[in-house]
Order: sequence, then C-alpha cells, then structure tokens
Amino acid sequence: MIITICVLILAGFIYYFAISYISNNQLDSDLTEELGEVVTYVNTRHQLPKPVEFDEDQASFVSIGQHIVPTKFVDTPFFEPESKKTERGRAVVSTIKLNGINYKVTIAESKKSTEYLVQIIGIITAVLTIMLLAGLFITNRFVLSGLWKPFYQLLHQLQTFTVINQDPQEVKSLDIDEFKELHGAIDAMSQRARNDYQSLRAFTENASHEMMTPIAVITSKLDNLIQDESLKADQYEQLQDIYNASNKLSRLNQSLLLLVKIDNNLIKDTTTINIKDVVEEKLKQFQEIIKNKGLEAEYSLSDKIIEANPYLIDILLNNLISNAIRHNTNHGRLQIQLNSTRLTIVNTGISEQLDGERIFERFQKGSQSEGLGLGLTIARNICEKFHFHLNYRFENPFHQFIVDFK
Amino acid sequence: MLILTPKALKLLIIEDEPALRESIKHYFTEEGSICEVCSDLKTAMQKIQLYEYDCILLDIGLPDGDGLKILQQLKEIGKEEGVIIISAKNSLDDKLNGLNLGADDYLVKPFHLAELKARIIAVHRRKSFNGSNIIQYDDLSINLHSMEVKAGDNVIFLTKKEYDMLMYFIANKGKVISKNAVAEHLWKDDIDLADSFDFIYTHIKNLRKKLQEHTGKDFIKSIYGIGYKFI
Repeated sequence: MIITICVLILAGFIYYFAISYISNNQLDSDLTEELGEVVTYVNTRHQLPKPVEFDEDQASFVSIGQHIVPTKFVDTPFFEPESKKTERGRAVVSTIKLNGINYKVTIAESKKSTEYLVQIIGIITAVLTIMLLAGLFITNRFVLSGLWKPFYQLLHQLQTFTVINQDPQEVKSLDIDEFKELHGAIDAMSQRARNDYQSLRAFTENASHEMMTPIAVITSKLDNLIQDESLKADQYEQLQDIYNASNKLSRLNQSLLLLVKIDNNLIKDTTTINIKDVVEEKLKQFQEIIKNKGLEAEYSLSDKIIEANPYLIDILLNNLISNAIRHNTNHGRLQIQLNSTRLTIVNTGISEQLDGERIFERFQKGSQSEGLGLGLTIARNICEKFHFHLNYRFENPFHQFIVDFK
Repeated sequence: MLILTPKALKLLIIEDEPALRESIKHYFTEEGSICEVCSDLKTAMQKIQLYEYDCILLDIGLPDGDGLKILQQLKEIGKEEGVIIISAKNSLDDKLNGLNLGADDYLVKPFHLAELKARIIAVHRRKSFNGSNIIQYDDLSINLHSMEVKAGDNVIFLTKKEYDMLMYFIANKGKVISKNAVAEHLWKDDIDLADSFDFIYTHIKNLRKKLQEHTGKDFIKSIYGIGYKFI
C-alpha cells in the first residue's frame, strides 16, 4: 500500500513537470513562428509592424543602436488589456535590423491557457489517484480480507495449539488450494504431536506399573518369609539387605520416572502457592530429624507467592532441605532464608567446596550418602521448568544452595 | 462400646499379578482371615454381586478393564464394603481420583504387607463400628477419637509417633515386622533420612518402656537382625 502511494505521488510529480515542459516548448515554438513572421515583415516592408496587428501577442520594439541581443526565451509578466489583469507570460527576445539600426524585439504570449490546461490535467490525475487508492483500500479491507480469513484462522490455531487440547478446530471457507494444503499440514503435525505426547504419557504410566509390580512382589515375599522365626540371625540379616536393595530400587524407579515426566512436560497443572507455607511444612516434617542431629537451625522466611505445580515444588523443597540435613554434621548449622527474590538454604558439612557443576548431574552423590544421586538433578530440572535458577556456592564453612526466582 | 480387635476378616483380593496375590493371601490367611481372590474385572464384578466382604483390595491396573469401575458398581448395588486401592501410580491426581470415586484408602506399590494390614483394619473399624471408638487389647484400652491409651485407669502418655506405632503393632500383632516396614510407616518417603534406623530404636525403646511401666508386660519382642513382633 505504501509503495503504491509513493509511486503514484512520484508519478504525479513527473507527470506535472513533463506537461509543463511540453507546454512551454509549445509556447516557445509559437513565439519562434511569430518572430519569424516579424522578421519577414520587416525585411519585406522595411518598417516595424504596428503592435495592434498581432492579436494575442504583444510585440515591442526598442532601439538599441548597434547592440545585438541574442535570441532567448524568458518568462515575463503579461498585461491582458481586456481584463486588466497581469498574468504570467512567455516572451521571445531578439534583435532585428532595420535601416542600419538594431531593434530589440520582444514578443510575449500569455501562459494562461496552457497553465489552465496543466491544472486540469493535474486535477484529473489527482482524482484518478485518489480513486485508485480508495479502490485498493476497499478491496483489501472487504474483499480480500474475506480471502485472508482462513489464513488468520489457521494462524490462530497454530498459536493456541497445545498437546493436551483434544478438539479438532474448524476452519471455514477453504476454497484456496494453498490454504487447504496448509490446513492439512497443520492438522497432520498437530495430530502427530498429540499422539507422541499421549504415547509418552501412556509409557510413563505403564512403566510405573510394570516396574513397581515386581518390586511389590519382592517386598511381599520377604514380608512372608520373615514370619518364620526359625531363621537364624545371619539369614535375617541377608533378608534385611534384600529389603534395603529393593527399597532403593523402588525409589530409583520413582525418581527416574519423575525426571522423564518433568523433562517432557507431562506434569502441567499449576495453582497459586506460597513457598513459605511449603517450607514451614517441610521443617515440621523434618523436625524430629533436625533435633536428633542436634542441628542449630535459623529460619528467616517471608511470603513468596508463585504459580506452580504443587507436587513439583514439594519435591524441590524436599530434596534441597533433606540434603541440607543429610549432609550436615552432627550439631551443625542449618539456615533457611526466603524472600521475594530468592530462597537460600545453607548448611555446614564437609569442609571442602563441592564441584558446583558435577553435583547436579545424575547419580552424583556424597560418599556418605544413602541417597540416589538424583535429588539435585531433579531439583534443578524443576527449577528450570519454572524459570528459576538453582546454584551452589561455598563460603567456608557453609554450603549454600540458592534458588533465584527471577 | 468396646470392640475387640477383629481376628478374622473376610477379604476380596483383586490383583492380576499372581505372585503378589498369593503373598497377600498367605499373609492374611495365616492368622485366620478368609481371602478370596480374583485377577480380572469380570470375575471381580461377579464376586461383589454374590458375596459380602469386610474389605476389598483393588488393583486398578487390571488386564480387562479399569478397576475403578468396581467402585462404581459397588455404589450402584448399594454395597458398603471398605475398598483399598493398590496401585503403582503415585500421582496426587490418581489418589484424589480414587478417593473421590469412593475408595477408602489408596496404597502405592510397593508396600509392606504390615502396612496393608494396618490400613485394612483402620478402614474396617471406620466402616463397621460407627460411633464406637474404644479398643481393648489385653490390659490396654485405647480411645480412637481422643487417642488416649490407658492401662486400667492409668493414662499412658504417648507421643504421636509412639501412638502411631502402637496402633500399627496392634493391627499386626503376632507378625514379625521388619524395621523397614516400621520406618516406612512412620516416615513414609523420608526414610532415607533416617540413617541406619537409629530413630526407630529410640521410639521402640520408649514405647516398650512406657508399656512395661504401666502393665508390667513387654509387648514388643525384638527379632534380631530384622525387626520386631508385637505380642
């Protein structure tokens, strides 16, 4: 649209100047003709013509002795005797010789009529331009927008697509082949994405069932086996080891499945959560263990409200706080600070700095730990999901884990 | 009104994994309960139509359909049996869904059979003896509502965890219970924090001492290398 307007305006200017140029040329050749007639007259009659003999043109003769004025064309004011108005005119100035004396002859014509012509042409052009623009505008707005409607609908479909949404959406009036194809392609892609999501979802649910059932069998068989009190102590101890191992296996499976779900966005629902409440609940939950370890605990918590999945936030805080307790020394210190920009969990522990990157990798754990090595991996993945940043810092003797909310 | 801890329960076990089904049946049958079993939805539907049970264990991942339909069916035929869902699915949504559809409890696999037993007894008590809330066990009388434990007229002051443990042991009396099972019961998912079961020893020791002081009896027997037995 803008290009059209620019081109038309440019064309308008060019048009105007071209017409002016041509009409000037026309005038000039008329004047040349007049001049020629004057020259012929003077040469044949040997006298200057009387001014009244040339209508429309005004001729004046001025004696200039022996000077010669070169022939030229000029713009000059033209006095129209009938309407007594001064108009714009064009004149030719030249020298003619009569009886040995040079005369400067000026023949002038009014430009009025040609100007009038140019103006009419200009107006017609302008009107045509406006009509053209109006026509374009109307066509674009009403006629073509109808044409583009299915496109905008498809665009909207793409923008609002989610894998969970099940309803196929209707797109109207797809007469245009290109849009039909586009619609078909979008449908196919959406369907594929939904199918992949559903299979992944089904997979994690089945995996859960399939992996846990054998472990449930092991646990229940052990529960029955230990009822036989004729077993010896060392046999019992072996059964205890089996319990421990299968317990670990079970927790490992749960954690890995959780990671799969987080990484693939299978956990979606969010509600409003005050992190302060969750932290306080966790501290209550771990109260006994904190006391048992003789930890000196300091908490400074203010409200922090977020939109998140409560299950994941619970796991996040559980992992971070239980780590801070588990890896703490007996009678060590535990500090938790919560404000609107960050959550900081600090604990004493081993006197060396941990490798700030490695600790977040899968299956990395402290040598004393009974854990799986997935706690921090899961914590970090959960943070990333909500665009938080989880980092580790060491300020002797404190190990600090910081969740930045921004 | 006094209730004695029920000795014999009639259970329906709906579980498609045969080894697990047999384990559960074995554990309960040992002490006199009657267990009927089935492994698919169709048979389960038939059984609940024909028979009465004290409690139903329902695995919702059945081969021929969604086990949750049993809950619907029970409602439709007006049966009031307690239902405990056993499932590998651990999400909060699944739990809430099951409970909303009418289940009385939801237990996630893998679980200890002692835990299962404790839950069955709790559900059975809630369902069968509405309003009655005192349990008599040997010299002990326990008020379920106020959570007060008395030996004769003397009140025994127990912490919440000690009370939980006592109820757990009473439900599983006569059974050898592993330390793992007790730890899991008390701390659920946090058990990996309870380093080397030290905490359990402390709680058991305290409970044992309090019971002994007030009744002169030692209810808890240590089974060396594995756990305890409540007698």
